[in-house]
Amino acid sequence: MRLRILWILLFALIAFSCEPEINTPSPVAGDADFSVFVSLGNSLTAGFANNELYKSGQMVSYANIIAKQMLHTGGGEFKTPLMRDELGFGGRLRLTTGTNCLGNQGLGLSTFAETPDPMNFQPIYNEEGPFHNLGVPGARVEHLLMPGYGLLNAYFGRFASSPSASVIDDAMRLSPTFFSLWIGNNDVLGFALSGGTSGSITPTEDFRVHYLELLERLTSTATGGVIANIPDITSIPLFNTLPALGLVLVNPSEVAELNALWSDVPEANFQLGINGFLVSDASVPGGARNLRNGELVLATLPQDSLLCGGWGSYKPIPENYYLSLQQLNQINQALDEYNAIIVAFSRQFDLALVDARQLLREAKTGIHFDGLSFTTEYVVGGVFSLDAVHLSPRGNAIMANHFIDAINARYNSTVPRVSVTQYPGIIFP
Amino acid sequence: MKHTIILIAFFLLSFPVVMGMGYQNHFQSPKSTAMGMAGTSLNLDASAVFFNPGAMSALPGRLRFAAGLHGIQSSTKFQLEQPSVYQAITDNPIVLPFYLYASASVTPRLSAGLAINEPFGTRVTWEEGWAGRFLTKQSVLQSLNIQPTFSYQLLDNLFVGAGLSILLGKTEMIRKLPVQDDNHEGELSIKGNATTWGINAGILWWPASDLRLGISYRSQMKLEFEDAQAIFKVPSLVETSFPSPNTVSTSIPLPASLDAGIAWDASERWMWVVNLNYVFWNVFENRQLDFAINSSVLVDENNPSEYSNTFSLRIGTQFHWQENLVLRAGTFYNPSPVNPNYFTPENPSLNSLGFTTGVSFMPFDGFSIDMALAVIMGIQEEVRYTPGNFNGIYKSRNIIPGLGVSYHF
Repeated sequence: MRLRILWILLFALIAFSCEPEINTPSPVAGDADFSVFVSLGNSLTAGFANNELYKSGQMVSYANIIAKQMLHTGGGEFKTPLMRDELGFGGRLRLTTGTNCLGNQGLGLSTFAETPDPMNFQPIYNEEGPFHNLGVPGARVEHLLMPGYGLLNAYFGRFASSPSASVIDDAMRLSPTFFSLWIGNNDVLGFALSGGTSGSITPTEDFRVHYLELLERLTSTATGGVIANIPDITSIPLFNTLPALGLVLVNPSEVAELNALWSDVPEANFQLGINGFLVSDASVPGGARNLRNGELVLATLPQDSLLCGGWGSYKPIPENYYLSLQQLNQINQALDEYNAIIVAFSRQFDLALVDARQLLREAKTGIHFDGLSFTTEYVVGGVFSLDAVHLSPRGNAIMANHFIDAINARYNSTVPRVSVTQYPGIIFP
Repeated sequence: MKHTIILIAFFLLSFPVVMGMGYQNHFQSPKSTAMGMAGTSLNLDASAVFFNPGAMSALPGRLRFAAGLHGIQSSTKFQLEQPSVYQAITDNPIVLPFYLYASASVTPRLSAGLAINEPFGTRVTWEEGWAGRFLTKQSVLQSLNIQPTFSYQLLDNLFVGAGLSILLGKTEMIRKLPVQDDNHEGELSIKGNATTWGINAGILWWPASDLRLGISYRSQMKLEFEDAQAIFKVPSLVETSFPSPNTVSTSIPLPASLDAGIAWDASERWMWVVNLNYVFWNVFENRQLDFAINSSVLVDENNPSEYSNTFSLRIGTQFHWQENLVLRAGTFYNPSPVNPNYFTPENPSLNSLGFTTGVSFMPFDGFSIDMALAVIMGIQEEVRYTPGNFNGIYKSRNIIPGLGVSYHF
């Protein structure tokens, strides 16, 4: 009798000891056909990070994350022109311990010393193509249409179907059923990264015409797609890490010395406390002035020159390291116009629209996912990689979720989102 | 000497539990466990010292002992908020909370007793690398209750009792920090001990030979973990951001509970028990972590929890099948005290439904071997932890066998 009861107890234990199963509806494609997904864009789409395009970064581009999630809703193969290694063309940055000119030890940046695999520079289309991830670092909107762009841009050259191919032609060879397009950042970024000294801002009408042609081509086969607007450059750490009013003077004799030194330059004035850095500006008398509130110093500025070389006070900061209010206005006006065009096209072509600009605006003050907080702050913020322009793996996951949300909202699909925590953060030495 | 033994028991043998009911441990006697965890109106054995001190002087015999343990196998699954397919599961070890009860009649009307048990506890360990690891990797609360108790027979059919609860508590929390080097993610672990005390009082009224009514109350307590150790494992270059050695102060309130129950002998062989259990969980308003040394990234935390009081119904029955064999069964519904907007995976308590059964075998008069089995289903629910934007669906299952002996003479 007792034995039988024990058996019953044991049986009950085994029957119930299997783990709990959560019941949720299976993901569905809704009104979309994700079977052939192509992703067009620039470095962000390619998975460029830490100043280089390399294998593990490519695999966690927002486009690759989305494609992987689409596998749950009828998505097909998504081929990426992967580099052979973690070095790409050799520009990848990493955090290291460094000593600055003041002798203070801290975090620094260095490139990897190893030599990249020569195969990274070889054309791979014939062996591995065609490719679904068609993000090309450096591409502007017009470049995606340009035959032979691979001859100008080695990142495309290595995976183009032929030397004369264009990105859009290679995309259309696949007869895509669904596409993503996030382009336009470089149409202002080249100008911005040079401090307005070189490069140009794409004229709005050119932007509109090229963007329209891209959408017309893509929607000739695709029944659905997602496009994203362009973030503010003030959301990018490269333009936000160094303050314009960053010259702090505590010594009255130093103030006097600087004012004496620049006495014949009317717009160079120094006072105790906080001052705008001194910068070169050919448009003002004497060719130099203090930075004004709201102007942006680029993080490309060599910091040792700032700390020990007298830059920003005894020597004006060269024009290629800052953006004046006027230049910033030009950039912002172009971005506003581009973004208005993108919104209008999303309606005209009835596409899903990602408000990437708003997402990164919110990230400036802090956003939370899966128990992690993110800001756009350099290194510690978690959204951007070490090059201060491109997304980290977690930043890509956040962006991918926003694309997925936009797709699901437009196409009544339930492409699953990802957990941001399943992607690596910044690696400390 | 006894003190030493208790401490050894506490630190080496006892492990706490999780069962989707806040962090209370209701499994304190297989007889009660088998009857849907109803215990307040029972005067079956020395477990009355804990369940209702009043019932202690209504027990048979002059000396009564009860001892045993429950084995708690608990599993909680998580899926990220919809739409998603990401899932994670807890990796909880089986934990074995024990109990020891003793009571003796000092005079025919007065009884003295002692309870040593673990009335509060939780141990939630999530799998390696899981999505919520920056909130919690492991969360442990252990408690040891030492409760000297007196009970007095006021009238022929009215019994009162009260005990002093001395409670030793121990907490351990591990969470990951979002700083990593090539091989490891950063980690914070917190370890602390605290002691507190409270009251356990009860009344048993025996208005008719086939009817018993009980009320018991356990007062609120609070474990104040002052200067708990805070240990950081982070990449060396960011060590200055996590000042070390460091301590942290935090506290965990242990809510008061009020039980009212009725036991009815339907026949010589059948008994029915109904128990209402009210827990004053609203004392758990927030969870603070106050670090002794802060830095720009190591800031004090004040995380809302805003628990709600819970009211649960427990029904049980026992059937005296043969001279030396008693069968039991029961069921209960336990609502979760957790606020669905502040639902942390540290303590994933769900509304839960339990089914229980058990058997007692009495080889000779006064001696009983008690077995119980409880199956508790935490009902699937989509909840949010808004401060960290960590939202998802939880579901849990707990299997709790219990084994004990009781003896009176």
